[in-house]
This record gives sequence, C-alpha cells and structure tokens, in this order.
Amino acid sequence: MKHYLQVYQKFVSTAFTQASSFRISFFLVILMDLFFYFSTLASVIFIYDHVEYIGVWQKSQLMFFISFMLTLDWLHMTLFSESFWMMGEHIRTGSLDFILLRPIHSIFSVFFRHFRPATMVNGLVAIFFLIKYGLALNLSPLSWALTPFLIILGLTLLLIIEIIISIAMFWIVEGLGVNFLRMQIQHLSRWPDFIYASLTRKVLTIFLPVLLIGSGPVRFLYDYKDYKLLIGLIIAIIISWKLMLILWNVGLKKYDSASS
Amino acid sequence: MIHSTNLSKTFQSYIKEPGFKGSLKAIFSRNYVYKDAVKNFNIESKRGEIIGLLGPNGAGKTTLMKMFTGIIVPSRGDLTVMGYKPWERSKEFRKKIALVMGQKSQLWWDIPAMDSFLLLQKYYEIPDDKFKKRVMEMSDILQVEPLLKVHVRKLSLGERMKMELMASLLHTPEIIFLDEPTIGLDLVAQENIREFISEYHRTHNATIFLTSHYMADIQALCKRLVLIFNGEKHYDGPIKEFENILGKDKVVSFYFSEAQNPNDPLWMRLEPKWNDFLDQVELKIPESDLRETTQKILDHKSIIDFHTENMPIERVMKTLMANPDILKA
Repeated sequence: MKHYLQVYQKFVSTAFTQASSFRISFFLVILMDLFFYFSTLASVIFIYDHVEYIGVWQKSQLMFFISFMLTLDWLHMTLFSESFWMMGEHIRTGSLDFILLRPIHSIFSVFFRHFRPATMVNGLVAIFFLIKYGLALNLSPLSWALTPFLIILGLTLLLIIEIIISIAMFWIVEGLGVNFLRMQIQHLSRWPDFIYASLTRKVLTIFLPVLLIGSGPVRFLYDYKDYKLLIGLIIAIIISWKLMLILWNVGLKKYDSASS
Repeated sequence: MIHSTNLSKTFQSYIKEPGFKGSLKAIFSRNYVYKDAVKNFNIESKRGEIIGLLGPNGAGKTTLMKMFTGIIVPSRGDLTVMGYKPWERSKEFRKKIALVMGQKSQLWWDIPAMDSFLLLQKYYEIPDDKFKKRVMEMSDILQVEPLLKVHVRKLSLGERMKMELMASLLHTPEIIFLDEPTIGLDLVAQENIREFISEYHRTHNATIFLTSHYMADIQALCKRLVLIFNGEKHYDGPIKEFENILGKDKVVSFYFSEAQNPNDPLWMRLEPKWNDFLDQVELKIPESDLRETTQKILDHKSIIDFHTENMPIERVMKTLMANPDILKA
C-alpha cells in the first residue's frame, strides 16, 4: 500500500509539472468544467420553475442528488477521466509496453496515472452546492458524516464499470467509440432511478448497475430504511471487481503491442 | 537466465483494399491473415552474456524482446527468464529486467527527464541515497548532467536516448533488452552509448540482448550472435564463426591513381565493387590467393593505397539476407 501511495504522490506531482507547462490550457479546462456544472444545475432549476415534483422528489432533493453526482463527477474528472482517454492511445501506439513493465499492478498504472490538476479547483463549486442543498434538506449529522464515504462508494462502482467497458479497447484498439460509450453510461447514472421506466430501471440496476451509483447512496441518506439499493451497490462493487480482474487479464493476453 | 523451447507468436491482421470502397468493405467483411512472427525459437543464455539478435526488418526480433519481457504472451512454446514466466508479470521479475526501445520513448514528453526518474524511483522502490548515486554516476558518464532538468521534448534524439538508457538502468536490472538503442544517432553518440552499455555490463555482469541495424554495435558489444529470418533462428554461435560463414575470404580495397576498366580480367571474378569514378575498388579475395592476386594488381596497376580486412559482417548479412539458404548448406 505504501508503495502505491508513494507512486501516486509522484503521479500527482508530475501532473502538476505537466500542467504548469501549458498555462492557457489549464485555465480553459477550469472554465469548461464550470460551464458544465452550472449548465447541469441550471437545467434542473429551469424544470422546477415549471413543476413542483419530478417523480417523488421535490426541488431540493433532486438538486442534492445532482450535486452529489457532480461531486462524484468532479472526483472522477480529476483523478481518472484523462487516464481513460489515454488508454486507447497507449494500446494503439504501443506505449502500454512500458506501463506493463513497471513493477506495480497495471490497472493502477493505467487508470490512476493521469491526474488533472485544473479540474481540482472546481471541486469547491460542486461541494458548495452539495452543502447548500443538504442544508435545505436538513440532513442529519450522521448523513453528513456518511456523505463522503458514499460518494467514494459510488465512484468506486462507476470506475469499475468504466474499466470493464474500457477493456474492450484491447480488441477494438481505437478508443474513441469505447470512450463515448463510457460517457453515455455516465450520463445514465446522473439521474435518479425513478425517472426510468420499469424495464430500463431493472436493466440499469441489475445487469449494468449504473443507477446504484447515485440512487443507492442518496436514497439511503434521505431515509435510512431505504437501504436496499445501497446494499445492491456494495454487492455490485464486489462482483464487478472480480469480473474486472478476470477480464483485464484476458485483455492483456490479447494485447499485441504496436510494431516498433 | 533465459530458456525457451519452441517459442512461437502468431499475429492476426486483416487485408484492406485501398480507397473508400475498401474501407466500407472492411467494416462488414474482413479478410484475416495470420503471420508467425516467431516460429519454434529455442535459446539458452547464461548470466553475463551479451547476445546480438540480427535479422532484417520484420524478422521477429522485437516480438522476441516483447515476449522475453512479458509485454506480450507467446502463442505456443515454453519460456522462462530467470526462472519466471514473463507473461505472469510478477513484481520481482519486473524489478530485474529493463527494456530500451530506440523507436519508443518511456520518458514523459512534457516533463524534464529528472521528474521521470523520480517517478521511476518510486516505481522500483529505489532508496534515496542509491538513486542519487546512480543518477550522478550515469549522468557523469553520459555527460548529460545539465540536461536533467530540461523538458524531454526539447532534447535532441541522442540526448533523449541517453536519458532513456538512464531511465532503464536506474534500478540496476540483471537483464537488459536493448532494441535498436542507437537508431538514428550520429557516430559520436553511437560510440558513447556503446561505451556506456559496455561499462554497465562490466560493472554489473548483466545479461544483455541487443538488436541493432548497425553492425558496429553488434561487433563492439557481442560475442554471441543469433540470426533470425522470418521468425526462425538460422544461426546461433560466436560472432567470429559468423564472419567466416561465407568462407575465409578477405576484402581488399585498392585506390588507383586513375580510372580503371571494370571489365579487366584481373578482378572480374573477385566480385568487384567500384566507386562512381572507377578509381576505387573493393575485391573479395580467397585467403589462399591473397598474396598472389594482390601482387599481380600491384605490379600491373598504378596504386596509391590499399588495405585488407576480414569479410565485414555487414556484407555477410547482406549476402545472407539475399539468400538465407546459404546457412542451410
């Protein structure tokens, strides 16, 4: 564990060195992310200007859910997003060769390598809205204490599902299509489960459990008796973790490496 | 150190017809072809050996290196490297090997080399004092100390290659795989790199596998040579014996004071290689006839200078590439 933390510390510091080389790009990324956060929140506020409830939730509940998912998204964008885009490049160009040579688990080297410092700053915005709407809902102290852990739990499942999808790149080689598919999956998870029709909801809860990422934790925070989806989230993490490791090894066997 | 039996690797690819129509067709129906990049390759190497892998482009040298390092998984056959199965990629195994590829960079382009080294230090868990000592030693030998803090993308090819070597040897590997480490470099840089590799071998008794298109690299560093054609091993033995494959011929170069008739019977049967002005020639003369033939030319022609050398390995290679069946005979 210490080994991994020390390596990760260097990933972060090299990311800062890299980001500082391209200052304008650094500030552009900040602006783009802020635009994304505000447009997402504004679209929900706009809908609530015309209706009182969406499904069973009123404005503050849905806004808290959206803020929860934005915070999760912020962590994803800062810690992992770029690595997913780079994976296709690594496979296509053969730069994965050197990653596989390092004495550390290759999933860690591939998916934790590219830290994005520019996105880090925007976390304050996401957290601000999370607190704002949490206060509006009068969340209990226990719910406040659990929120960070539940965000990490949701992020873990999202990350594993995305890694499983990205493993397809070992066969497809070009990563663009896989990355767009991954982003669509992210979009599906950004809304609460009740907005989906019955069959779709079942599929997205059991077979491709993206609805557990946000709905499981947030439903539990609102009502501790509503824990079934949260248990489902934990089970999904365990099963998909095992599946991810198996598929990753199959994918590595398929890796041919680009010619030199 | 390395033991392989019937090691083979087959790659799948598809044939695409040129143009838009071909692209459209390839989306729905693909004509797959299978190529044996390496076929039934057997090798046994000992600690401290420097082995040169020679062969034309596409012979399977890099594929072999990638199987030895565990980057790709063999299709068939057995392979152990220091007792490990490389494709299992155990942490201990990966700490004992290094791979340098002349055509691919392991350094991060947008940061200085020193930042990459610091990251590698953590990857390989190198203690601080040992790391500093290694960086100092290597940068001193390669004379790159002032360049350690320069962004890699700003370095010349030769400077970058030196940094690549440093990055690969920071953790003092026991086996080093060098895939064309001097490609594209000028003669001075090639010489520096050869000296550095030789010095590392002397100090650490490391096993080294080297592929190169420059015979000078092979001749300067390797005692043992393995020749590969179309994925198959055609020769494995001392480099001295390899030089004699085409017979014990000598190559004699003559420099004349004036242009000569290339059809003169004096050299017609000696595979002459003329320059454009027809005043320099390289002749292949059997060792037994060397004295007599040379004397004849000296007596009948106006010679400014001449010198004799063994059959250059480069010429042996060229001849074998054109006709690999010579080795079967």
